[in-house]
Amino acid sequence: MDRLIENAPCGFITLAKDSKILSINETLVKLLQYPSSEELIGKHLNIVLSNSSRVFIQLYFLPLIKAKHSVEEMYLSLMSANGEEIPILLNASLQKNNEIICVIVPMHKRNALEDELINARKAAEKASHEKEKALLELEEALKILKSQQQELLESNQQNAKFKLDTERELQLAKKIQETALTQNIINDNIKILSYYHASKALSGDIYGFYQITPEKYGIILLDVMGHGISSALVTMSLQSLFQKLISQGVAPEIVMRELDGYLHELFQNNQDAWHYCTAIYLTIDTSTQTVEYINAGHPPAILQKKNGVLEELLATNPPLGTFENISFQSKTSSYTRGTRILLYTDGVSEAFMPNTLHCLLSGSSLVSLAETKELIQKALEDEANKFEKYNNDDQCFILIEL
Amino acid sequence: MNQNIIKRNNINISGKGKKPIIFAPGFGCDQTVWKDVLPAFEEDYQVILFDYVGFGGSDISAFNSVKYGKLSGYVQDVLDVCAVLDLKEAIFVGHSVSSMIGLLASNAEQSHFSHLIMIGPSPCYLNDPPDYYGGFEKEDLENLIDMMEKNYIGWANVFSSTLINNAERTDAAKELEDRFCSTDPLIATTFAKACFFTDSRQDITKAKVPSLILQCTEDIIAPKGVGEYLKRNLPNSEITYMNTSSHCPHISDPDETILSIKNYLINQTELLVGEGTGGV
Repeated sequence: MDRLIENAPCGFITLAKDSKILSINETLVKLLQYPSSEELIGKHLNIVLSNSSRVFIQLYFLPLIKAKHSVEEMYLSLMSANGEEIPILLNASLQKNNEIICVIVPMHKRNALEDELINARKAAEKASHEKEKALLELEEALKILKSQQQELLESNQQNAKFKLDTERELQLAKKIQETALTQNIINDNIKILSYYHASKALSGDIYGFYQITPEKYGIILLDVMGHGISSALVTMSLQSLFQKLISQGVAPEIVMRELDGYLHELFQNNQDAWHYCTAIYLTIDTSTQTVEYINAGHPPAILQKKNGVLEELLATNPPLGTFENISFQSKTSSYTRGTRILLYTDGVSEAFMPNTLHCLLSGSSLVSLAETKELIQKALEDEANKFEKYNNDDQCFILIEL
Repeated sequence: MNQNIIKRNNINISGKGKKPIIFAPGFGCDQTVWKDVLPAFEEDYQVILFDYVGFGGSDISAFNSVKYGKLSGYVQDVLDVCAVLDLKEAIFVGHSVSSMIGLLASNAEQSHFSHLIMIGPSPCYLNDPPDYYGGFEKEDLENLIDMMEKNYIGWANVFSSTLINNAERTDAAKELEDRFCSTDPLIATTFAKACFFTDSRQDITKAKVPSLILQCTEDIIAPKGVGEYLKRNLPNSEITYMNTSSHCPHISDPDETILSIKNYLINQTELLVGEGTGGV
């Protein structure tokens, strides 16, 4: 072999058609850490290849050199006599006599760089893969969020519709409840005016006044505990009962006993639904000018005599639906013409400072009953505007002028 | 659909005979590897060449790393080629991993195939001691895949420069040449992983067509022990030991390869005549 090639700064090796080593230069023998070329010549190239390179030579090098007659910049790893792997670049060409000439350059440093490049590429691929995955997850989450939003929107719409339906139903129920209320009575002997205001659509207050005979009138005011739909339902069932009883001219004790009994009966098997109510019932006989009343736990009615003196028709009994088998006893007193009586529920009295109702009555004794009613009504509305919280109970009052 | 497969798998048909013979390229190569072998068959056979999707002149846009991440993807390519050409009783010549792909295809659809010629086959490249030595540890194969990736860096420009020096080549030939032993690292490593880490030892016992194992001397990819393992476990198989010492005898020694295949086929024909079932 040419002396220049023997010690050239690159490996030089020639191979036979069957990949056996024909010649090898000194530089490559040294690189491979063999004592002399004699141990390599005549051996298969595999002797100086790593396992993976042996396969690679078969899969790529031999087909390529056969097809193209040359190979350029093939990366391989050689195996030294001491078992060290040596990364190299190989150029080869196929000669006319079917011998293969290879030039080999070790590339430790470049290999490290390429390793880094590959690692960097792999890291970039991994990062990009993870980013894609995260993006997909994000998209999925967004999809879920959107569908939840849609559900929320739909349920909101349903709620809104439900609310609207309920509102409509309540307004209808309010009309029905108000239909059950009796109209004002105004004649030469008596004037009866009423004010009725529910804290919600439906009220737990109910009243009724009836002309029983040409001279006799029955006036009742009830306040079922609580307010809203449940209380309103109880008022409606009580109303149908008291309307019948009072219209038939039944004695006050019996009216109250029946109502009391009815409540006990209603809830005897259902403690959860239990409601009681306060009630005041008056009968007025214009011919004898007497007032007979029973007050079952209700705020005292205020009686204003013609001379301005105020009296209270205090409770005579506990509320209806509380204690069973109570005996109701009415009280009777006589009046003179011009006497006024104010019946009210606690929603009215509690809207004011104590004694406000007394003052309002006293202060308006000289004006007409309708004006007095308006005065109280306006005072209530003013209070309601001032203190929102006082508007949370049903309010009802009845003004009578004898 | 039919035209699509012909284009997708770059199917090329030549030869004057009626009996079909399919040549399937081995690991990572395309149909050009058969150029020294196929003229010997064109007189008597209908010679069919094709490329797996991702290699040679195939339609690379049909590549799908999930489908072709498993050997079954390449088996399906073979079945698609057979179906589109309506092949009956074809001889399938497969190199390296293609011989196993052909075997799996014949197990799936026997009617397409009459014989398998397996050049340097291996049902499993990994060692599975103590009873099976495929020749490789997992690390060896992983290093090989790394080496493929590293060569991609070096090769990216090699092919274009080679082409400039060969001005007489036609464009079509350039295209073919350019993809020789595909350098696309994604496709090459996908194929490598599908091939090298598959264990088909369960499948060989279910072989339905007779086969010839061509065992080369000193084949480090498919060692002698593996060829003999196949001979023992592959029903209806014969083994021929070749003098050539490489993994690619059809390239390194096409004459011996042609002779080995023809000898086997002649014997098979005589067997058929002898059994009175009619000749080819």
